[in-house]
Amino acid sequence: MKKLFNSAETMVDDMIDGYVSACPQVTRGTLDPRVVIRRQGAKNPDEKVTLLIGNGAGHEPIAMGFVGRGLLDANVVGDVFAAPSADLILDGIREVTGQAGSILLISQHSGDVINGRAATMLAEEEGLNVRPLLMYDDISAAPPERRHDRRGAPGTMFVYKILGAAAEEGLGQDALMRLGEAVRDRTVTLAAAVSPGISPLSGQPMFSLPDDEIFLGMGVHGEPGVGRVKTGPVRDLVAEMVERLLADRPIAEGGRAAVIINGMGGTTQMELWTVWRETEAELRRRGITPLSPMVGSYVTTQEMGGVSISLLEPDDEMLRLWCAPQDSPAFPHIHSEDDQS
Amino acid sequence: MSAEQYFTALHAMAEAEMARLNALDAALGDGDHGTTLLRGLTRAKGAEDGARAKAFMRASGGASGTLFGLVLHEIEQHLEAGAPLAEGLARAEARICDLGQVKPGDKSMVDALSPAVAALQSGDLPAAVAAAEQGRDATVEMTARRGRAQYVEAGGKGHIDPGAVSLTMMLALLAETEGAA
Repeated sequence: MKKLFNSAETMVDDMIDGYVSACPQVTRGTLDPRVVIRRQGAKNPDEKVTLLIGNGAGHEPIAMGFVGRGLLDANVVGDVFAAPSADLILDGIREVTGQAGSILLISQHSGDVINGRAATMLAEEEGLNVRPLLMYDDISAAPPERRHDRRGAPGTMFVYKILGAAAEEGLGQDALMRLGEAVRDRTVTLAAAVSPGISPLSGQPMFSLPDDEIFLGMGVHGEPGVGRVKTGPVRDLVAEMVERLLADRPIAEGGRAAVIINGMGGTTQMELWTVWRETEAELRRRGITPLSPMVGSYVTTQEMGGVSISLLEPDDEMLRLWCAPQDSPAFPHIHSEDDQS
Repeated sequence: MSAEQYFTALHAMAEAEMARLNALDAALGDGDHGTTLLRGLTRAKGAEDGARAKAFMRASGGASGTLFGLVLHEIEQHLEAGAPLAEGLARAEARICDLGQVKPGDKSMVDALSPAVAALQSGDLPAAVAAAEQGRDATVEMTARRGRAQYVEAGGKGHIDPGAVSLTMMLALLAETEGAA
């Protein structure tokens, strides 16, 4: 597989160089070049609670693309598909944590959890006020009674965005933790994979799948999902996905759902708008009003083909914060209901 | 004995033991425990005061790099700032059990660390090393419940846990050098 990099050793740092140079909103931290922080719109961390997250590289634009006013304060970038080490996350915490405290968002995957929580322990030892918030939403990873064992999936972007907006407005650390948990507990995601990504390190496909089959419930690294379905019109696939999502966490007739349609890197925007069309129709057929969708490739695994559907049943405050303005390089403008009317 | 001397000696020991640790790990996991330990210690040896355990975590990487780094962090604090060792290792044990979701009996580094911490409460470092060695040897008969070894045949029963072996090495070296000082 042809890839446009200089070398495996430098690919992550080369990418960060290009990113911070292209985007005036962000810059590198002073403690470690793998920490991306706001250049514009940084507020006094003694007054504003700061939000940060660590993740492996290779899934861009998440999460460094979401550093900016109204969203994240910092992103700690690990090696390709590898969670950053605890000491590196600690540098990120040191970089942004002030008197108002910080929240380390952790998308639930074992390396991220162990290193993220170890980093918060070391930070507390240094007297820093940081709290970890575990995020999980992939319904294929565990049944509803073991929700807390689920993996983090693209629905975690609801948590980033809503907490980012609330923190910008000055909400305190305790209230942000409660809000983040509430958003998490109202979010479900299911993914469907059609083709593998190619690892930039090995040049090899990350899993294999017959031409006429789709994996339901694939994790971002190609971890096995809940089952296989045959290819066909995409409306059938979307109907099954929406059915499973609402069976897991029902939304009553007359209810609302904010929606993320996320492409995994190798699925075209042409396909993603089509998936949104079918998702909207499925929700309306059940008497649920879909609103403020985010449709695009935001959590990717190289050129992996596939899509995930995430649903959040928001309260009014969550919906207001979901649609609030932000100024990060890669998060889209989310239209409010007022914009749409 | 300074932290610098300890990490230099531990690096030399890991260099000598790398192949054996990899072979022990190959029976239960992906066979790189010696290599990742050495990679971490190579960086730690050259790091500045107060930054050695953290350099180890960075270079060693992964979950095991972090968990071993927490033990080395306490040893570093003890050697550099005179922090009480018993308290520090007890804290490391609690953190490892919490983060790694392991407890004694699961066939892990904790099976060497936990008896050593208990022995250190009422005894000296040599007693703690003896307890760690006993705990280490007891992992042979254990069945893994967490970590890579849970996926191998019979949970790795019949094989010693390489994490318990390297953890015991770290404590034995500390006892040796503290005794010599």
